[in-house]
Amino acid sequence: MDAPAKSGQPLPRLDARLKVTGGARYPSDVAVANPAYACLATSAVARGSIRAIRLDEARAVPGLLDILTYQNANEIKPINFFSKGGQAASSIMPLSAPKIWHDGQIVALVVAETFEAASEAAQKIAVDYDEEPPTATIGSPGATVNAVADVSEEHKDPGFGDADAAFAAAPVKIDAEYSTPTQHHNPMELFTTTCLWSDGKLVVHEPSQYVYGMKNGVAAQLGMDPGDVRVVSAYIGGAFGSKGSLTSRTAIVALAAKRLGRPVKLVSTRDQGFTIATYRAETRHNVKLGADRNGKLLAYSHEAFELTSRPDDYNVAGTTTTAVMYNYGAVATRVNVVHADRNTPGFMRSPPEVPYMYALESAMDELAYALQMDPVELRRINDTAKDPNPGNPRPYTSRSLMRCFDQAAAAFGWEKRSPAPRSMRDGDWLIGWGCATACYPTQIAPAAARVSLTPDGWARVQIAAHEIGTGAYTVIGQAAAERLGLELDRVKVELGDTALPPGPIAGGSNTTASATAAIVKACDAIREKLFRAAAGSNQGALAGKPIADLDLAGGRIVAGDVSEPLTAAFKYMGQAAIEEYVESVPHGLAADAMEKLYRGRVALAGGPKGEKLMFAFGAEFVEARVHARTGEIRVPRAVGAFAAGHIMNPRTAHSQLMGGMIWGISAALHEATEIDERSARYVNDNLADYLIPVNADIQTVDVIFVSETDREINPLGVKGLGELGNVGTNAAVANAVFHATGLRVRDLPIRLEKLLPSV
Amino acid sequence: MSSAALSVAKEAAAETTPPSSAAERGGAPLANVSLEINGRTYPLALDPRTTLLDALREHVGLTGTKKGCDHGQCGACTVLVDGRRVLSCLTLALMADGESVTTIEGLAGPDGALHPMQQAFIDKDAFQCGYCTPGQIMSAVACVEEGHANTDAEIREYMSGNLCRCAAYPNIVAAINQAKHELKRA
Repeated sequence: MDAPAKSGQPLPRLDARLKVTGGARYPSDVAVANPAYACLATSAVARGSIRAIRLDEARAVPGLLDILTYQNANEIKPINFFSKGGQAASSIMPLSAPKIWHDGQIVALVVAETFEAASEAAQKIAVDYDEEPPTATIGSPGATVNAVADVSEEHKDPGFGDADAAFAAAPVKIDAEYSTPTQHHNPMELFTTTCLWSDGKLVVHEPSQYVYGMKNGVAAQLGMDPGDVRVVSAYIGGAFGSKGSLTSRTAIVALAAKRLGRPVKLVSTRDQGFTIATYRAETRHNVKLGADRNGKLLAYSHEAFELTSRPDDYNVAGTTTTAVMYNYGAVATRVNVVHADRNTPGFMRSPPEVPYMYALESAMDELAYALQMDPVELRRINDTAKDPNPGNPRPYTSRSLMRCFDQAAAAFGWEKRSPAPRSMRDGDWLIGWGCATACYPTQIAPAAARVSLTPDGWARVQIAAHEIGTGAYTVIGQAAAERLGLELDRVKVELGDTALPPGPIAGGSNTTASATAAIVKACDAIREKLFRAAAGSNQGALAGKPIADLDLAGGRIVAGDVSEPLTAAFKYMGQAAIEEYVESVPHGLAADAMEKLYRGRVALAGGPKGEKLMFAFGAEFVEARVHARTGEIRVPRAVGAFAAGHIMNPRTAHSQLMGGMIWGISAALHEATEIDERSARYVNDNLADYLIPVNADIQTVDVIFVSETDREINPLGVKGLGELGNVGTNAAVANAVFHATGLRVRDLPIRLEKLLPSV
Repeated sequence: MSSAALSVAKEAAAETTPPSSAAERGGAPLANVSLEINGRTYPLALDPRTTLLDALREHVGLTGTKKGCDHGQCGACTVLVDGRRVLSCLTLALMADGESVTTIEGLAGPDGALHPMQQAFIDKDAFQCGYCTPGQIMSAVACVEEGHANTDAEIREYMSGNLCRCAAYPNIVAAINQAKHELKRA
């Protein structure tokens, strides 16, 4: 056999062949016998109530089978919003009442023999509304504001010292407003659900970042024992947070399938995805930074406003991250939620860090100019190894921020930068260079896993973790292969199915840390059994050897120069296979965390929450080119250097970080969901009008791994990086555009119309 | 590369497939269509509004071709029709009657040997979630065939109809650069 796989090797993805041949079965690809097809009808107003639903024309469509509305299908039991002890992405339950909470709310589910007939019928549903004037966004008439600290049991606004006085006394200061727009994840895969019933048991095929959450949530909505619900989601066609919590469509598709006695398949439309799932809410920030003339930060104040729906207090409260970022002298923060007539927002890639670090890192750049100081040096002066709050000086387990800056700056050629705005030019193109800090909390969740090994050197790993494009199959397989001394292709990995032991939510960049902790534990139990059998037998080459001297490699148990095949140990044991089920509950979580995982509740430890601060860091440098006559903006190159502990697979990690940086360029320059202020409806709810980068928008994106060893965070020393890459990019682009043009755009995205004053 | 070289081993005799069961279900009046997909003939009876994409996925059972928008905005549904890349969501199945359709399932050889473009996508890690990948690969094969893969800039331009939300774009360019040399040699 070849050398066993090691973590840290850039191995090709275990699922690569399936993904390039069309063989990977995403949930809507799973074949079901004799399906009926569902389509949604959604509300055309954002606030009010349904006065009448006229179904005659829809019912006349040939092939029509059923139409569910609140009038005939009001039987979904309410479950709680995910932050209030439930699994729901919104506390607005489907088809439960005539009340309209937001634009695009599901008002009917149509089922027909074909997709074509269901589409036609859905469009022929006529709804009369009693419409009320809706509130669209932050600052709109009718918006209500609450401090998050008043409505959340978990959140306390970070702060220490007298930030107001320190700011007032500071000789150099920045006081600026920043804003970020509504953004939608727009994974390439649509929001689909297929439901089948058999003997009172339900199977749901739906792309999910948390199958156990879906299983338990749907069971509660349908009044079922969770043991009678299975959720399968082996491949997920992009998620980015949008498939993390249970949305309103799942239970009504299940209900339709039950009523019909036949599988029902829903593939919602792209525009419906804007309102039946979640999104990144728009935010507003006021940031104040005060410094002495040497750049030492004396004061940091940050007040933020985040949009949410009427019934839910969804918020991201990123000040818990920004307040520990630098060695401030005093901090004052306050986060508010603003309720409007909108669907409930939700997680989107680096939910707190993207808007809050954009605001902070933009302000840091402004401060650097005010100080006439290199922005890298400003970060160095204020770097810290601990929480700056003297009342709670928790150390970082590791923090390689300045090594990231130094390596990225060297690769970028930062020393050739001419500091003054508008001082670098290539013909008609104004050139700007900017940089910013990236960071992401290192988190870990409980996880259970089952690993089996047979004497012929094949292993099977089972854990209901999720492959959303991150390479989960591969890195989980690598962790097992390494511990069991096997080649990667001798490890069969099964994910995304509630028939498997529960894995963590694919959120908070915790999957690798959490899943591998369980898998290593299971593999170690297997090793222990094999070693005891080999060393404890009275025959064979390893008899009597100290167990500590034994290892597994290439399908053999080895001790230095001597070895025995796995088959020998199995023979001593009189077993044909070893199977280990293990549970892993990380330090810092309550004893019932595993039981909660089985019930579909999320618990994460680490990040800024514990006795020590756990974060991954990065530094991102961007070149922006702004055309001096037209304002056209291009970002031809970006360099990011990242320190994220042990890198399990540099190939998949590189793709995640590169993809994250491009995501960030997209957020900075392209993406915004436009909201009609009068109707509170989304305007550009399709992929032609909601702009994301195409291949021609992206040129060179360099990713540098900064070596880092952190033994405190988790067994393999890994820091999640799926959400690290896009954290610094918004500010780096904005800072580069300022350097190019001398114009500070404080409202994302930066589109050319905002640069017209500079051309 | 010729379109003949693109097509997979054709089965000598076209198999007959049962007509779509929609006829039995009392839906809309059905139209007969014969699709040649990956070298095999599929006689189908379809609602005339059925797109080529839905015919592939829901009636033939070839789910490698993906629905990302159903509006011709994302490229996930790209297939080859008589060697040209088309958006199967904007093509009615009836429009492809009698034409030769190649999907991602038809790209590898009969022995399972990957097409050089498929191998290049693996080698360059030109995908993450994999959902846009079948469309990217079909588009990439055509991009090379069209002679639009001469420079990085040209590849980027001619691959810009295929969105990748995971943003594997630089790796997709690298994969096409790798595969185009092998395809020229072939």
